[in-house]
Amino acid sequence: MTGDRAAARRPSWSTTLAILTLMILIVLAVVGPALYRVSPNTMDLAMVGIGPTTTHPLGTDESGRDVLARLLAGGRVSLTVGLLAMVLAVGLGTTIGSIAGFAGGWVDTLLMRLTDAALAVPALFVVILVLTFLGPSVVTLLFAIGATSWMGVARIVRGELCVLRQQPFVEAAHALGTPQLAIMLRHMLPNIVPTVLVAATVGVPSAILTESALSFLGLGVQPPAASWGNMLSGAQTYLTSSPALALYPGLLILLTVLSVNALGEALRQARS
Amino acid sequence: MILFLVRRIGHGLVVLLLVSTVTFAIMLAAPGGPSLLADPKLSTAERAAIEERLGLDKPGSVQYARWLGRAVRGDFGSSFLYQTSSLATIGSRLPPTLLLAGTALLLTIGIGIPLGMAAAARPGSLLDRLVTTTSGIALAVPVFWSGLMLILVFAVWARILPAGGAVTEGESLGIVDRVRHLLLPALVLASAGCAEVIRYTRSAARTTLALPFMQNARARGLSARRILWRHGLRHALLSVVSVIGLQLPRLVGGAAVTETVFSWPGMGRLGVEAALGRDYPLVMAVTLIVSAGVVVASIIADVIQMVMDPRLRHA
Amino acid sequence: MSLCLLAACTREPARVDDTLRLPLINDPIFNPLLAPDIGSVMVNKVLFPGLVRPDEALRPVPDLASSWQMAADGLSWTFVLRPGVTWHDGAPFSARDVKFTFDQAIDLSSGSRLRSDFAAVAGVDIVDSLTVRFRLKAPFAPLLTLLGYNAGILPEHLLKGKKLTDAITFNRTSPVGTGPFRIERVAPGASVTMARYAGYYGATPGVERIVFKVVPDVNAQVAQLRAGELDLITIEPANLGSVQNAPGVRVLQVPVVQHWYVGFNASTPMFASPVVRRALGYAINRQAIVTGVLKGYGDLPGGTIPVALRDYYDSAAAPIPFAPDSTRRLLASAGWNAGPDGTLRNAKGDAFEFELLVDKGNPTREQSALAVQQDLARVGVKVSIRTMEFAALVRDRVLPATYAAMMIWWTTPPDPDQFSFYSTGQDNNHVKWSNRSADSLLQAGRETADPTQRRKIYDAFQRLEREDPPVLVLFYPREIQAVASRLQGVPKLGIRDALRHSEKFRFAP
Repeated sequence: MTGDRAAARRPSWSTTLAILTLMILIVLAVVGPALYRVSPNTMDLAMVGIGPTTTHPLGTDESGRDVLARLLAGGRVSLTVGLLAMVLAVGLGTTIGSIAGFAGGWVDTLLMRLTDAALAVPALFVVILVLTFLGPSVVTLLFAIGATSWMGVARIVRGELCVLRQQPFVEAAHALGTPQLAIMLRHMLPNIVPTVLVAATVGVPSAILTESALSFLGLGVQPPAASWGNMLSGAQTYLTSSPALALYPGLLILLTVLSVNALGEALRQARS
Repeated sequence: MILFLVRRIGHGLVVLLLVSTVTFAIMLAAPGGPSLLADPKLSTAERAAIEERLGLDKPGSVQYARWLGRAVRGDFGSSFLYQTSSLATIGSRLPPTLLLAGTALLLTIGIGIPLGMAAAARPGSLLDRLVTTTSGIALAVPVFWSGLMLILVFAVWARILPAGGAVTEGESLGIVDRVRHLLLPALVLASAGCAEVIRYTRSAARTTLALPFMQNARARGLSARRILWRHGLRHALLSVVSVIGLQLPRLVGGAAVTETVFSWPGMGRLGVEAALGRDYPLVMAVTLIVSAGVVVASIIADVIQMVMDPRLRHA
Repeated sequence: MSLCLLAACTREPARVDDTLRLPLINDPIFNPLLAPDIGSVMVNKVLFPGLVRPDEALRPVPDLASSWQMAADGLSWTFVLRPGVTWHDGAPFSARDVKFTFDQAIDLSSGSRLRSDFAAVAGVDIVDSLTVRFRLKAPFAPLLTLLGYNAGILPEHLLKGKKLTDAITFNRTSPVGTGPFRIERVAPGASVTMARYAGYYGATPGVERIVFKVVPDVNAQVAQLRAGELDLITIEPANLGSVQNAPGVRVLQVPVVQHWYVGFNASTPMFASPVVRRALGYAINRQAIVTGVLKGYGDLPGGTIPVALRDYYDSAAAPIPFAPDSTRRLLASAGWNAGPDGTLRNAKGDAFEFELLVDKGNPTREQSALAVQQDLARVGVKVSIRTMEFAALVRDRVLPATYAAMMIWWTTPPDPDQFSFYSTGQDNNHVKWSNRSADSLLQAGRETADPTQRRKIYDAFQRLEREDPPVLVLFYPREIQAVASRLQGVPKLGIRDALRHSEKFRFAP
């Protein structure tokens, strides 16, 4: 046990590495397309599937588009989907969880049944339904993924609040006549921040992976726009002829997910 | 206990009604409509005849009322694509999915819990690191990708396992043949859940080991191994059961992708196909049956938890 | 864990040499009248022969009918049926089955999807047990071709008396046809197994069994072909890389009766003028598309009648040229002049820009659309591409004609008749093209049975298309078949027609 605690105080090398990797990936996605000004969507049918050259540092794909430019543009899309879907899910989950946990009674019952209903339907299936119906775009993807992954957060937040409500310091605040809302905002919500942070680190990778699974089913970010998910799924066709096409986006997804998970693990340990 | 069950079942029915209304509404609002009608070669008269035959010429509320009226009597209508009863279609596709998801669940538990416990027993050991790293990677690889890689390695290059399907079609080769077909898809489907169970088991076991009664047990001179597997496991299982309950919808959802990669004749693929083809009756039937399955499973998980933890029985 | 399980497995059992394995992307419906999807068509071609079938030149040759005669006025056709044919259940095949099939086919309420194919048929009369007469509302030259296209004959003795759509057992599990293979087993979502039918009237099939496996993902199909678990698949040009150098696999190509095109909505002011449509056609570098997108597996077009119809394709004329200068000149004559930014504008100052719809999920069409966008940008025409799901594209934009341009294709029967696509006001004329001379040519073409006369009519139609193109034809694709090297006897036909020759498939010893 002591070993774990010591590790929690000082970030381990793996946590440092994870943060560094994520920062690099985010910076590349933000400023990359501005620095490397090659269009990610322009096809050149005369330059199809070539290896690295001076004009195309990572070569071109099977439509003659620049792979590096697509990876940068795709990173922007994938990280945006990952982060924003997570923000949406955590926001929704925290709101519903807090209302349920704080209000209790029939509000609690109602919201928790709603949560059960949402949990009962396989998330991927609902996302597929919603996307076939609303049509896939980055925005609908965000909402569809976000709107189907808040339930875990809601449950955890509610659970924590139910425990907190019975804590002496909250009961003391009640006794002192502090208004309900103030108790909620000042005393209870700050206590659930670590829990929410941990949940957030779970949300990002799952959103990125969901997008890639959807790309496989033809419902992810739509070509010609790039995302790591649709690049990886598109590359399957050329697996034997150009394996590098699959390698790059696959590695980037792997790196992102591993890093975010390592970060989440560090946060979890820091909390306990 | 009985009261609890009745209440949970009641809630479950409300959940199903909610699911059906929302699904139907989304479905009708969708652009395009049934793919059956999307054939540019259809003449206007043919199109009208099909719409009338399928009842698609009526307003949405009427269609829903009709559907609900039949559904409560157990009639889920005829699939547009398969031109046969939706229930029969699902009935023929459910067993393969149950087999696949069931095997994956067994693998998840059978691999996840022992490895998680073993990792927890010696934190920081080589085994712990290996298990943690592998499960981290398993969580980070898209399912369709690992599936295709396994097919390439084991079916195309090594040729020791089949590339797809549930049996060798056209021949009856018995149980060995089935197991060989089941192996890769079940592994792929289990991988992400397995990684998650490993993590939960590991952290639950570590937490349990730190509890006062465990310290007591150790003070009384019980061997570390005995403590871990006797007491730690029981406690860790409690939280793991609820995690596994949450795996179920994911298994079914994930099955859609796995089944497509491995050409597995299951329900996940059927659901995607129905959604893409806007097969209204089939979409409704699949959604409801899957939701019902998940509701029942979550009730069972609750009951197991109550049986295992007497404190919850009176809560 | 997995390794020890693997070790316990034996190696793949030796392939049984007499089973042909083919992929389907969905569960078929065993009824040629009800199911126009490719999966059902493939299976039904094997189970249900028609009165005629196409040979390798796509000309109709005898099948269930041994000979036929058109009346001088063209209003009736008499077919003499092959004697001694039996259904898979042993019952004799007769004229009653033919009458029953076409009564159902032209009945709107039966659920038939062949009604527009046979809209010209007024009725079928039984002359004797082996002779039938088709009565027509007007002379209809494509009749013979259509009889060999999707019109498999159904057994009257099993289906009479109830709605075709209600015959679920027949349609889903136990169909009975007259083809070289009969149904042995159907595993829903997984496979359809057929066995050689001993009573088949034609040549003895070269394989014992055909297994159709449901494999929806094309990459999975490729993997299964390479693993020796499938024997013939059709692929997109994009998949070529993964089969070209694979051991035990060879690649075949056949021209198919399709034309892929950009359809302009001629009812909009922008595309009403023939000059504009012709001009846009010269701006496209089709050779670059055929080389780059189709990897060479396609032919350059002259008009809407594809080269696969060798009797009717106007081979005297060269393919549509790539001449962007002509585009600029013609568009200028139509009032579109380049502004300072290079974009073409009309007298009112409106830019020449429009939205091109393309269905999503097909790399060939997506890439072709992008190529068109880039080529048109070079002559100052701004195109924005919008990808939509095919069903939504058709129902929400194409049918109500609320689109400007679309990237789409027609797969047609092997007959030059394009009346329903390009005649004024027809149901399938989604591009709203209207040309009076073309109307009369297309009308004459479908009513003229004499091949020489017919050829002249369609030559005239193709010349007319050069001046007033109904659509911007991009190319005629070739079907790419990836085949197990040991498989022989594959006819040089698209897979759907090839399967009506399923008795010819065999494996090299």
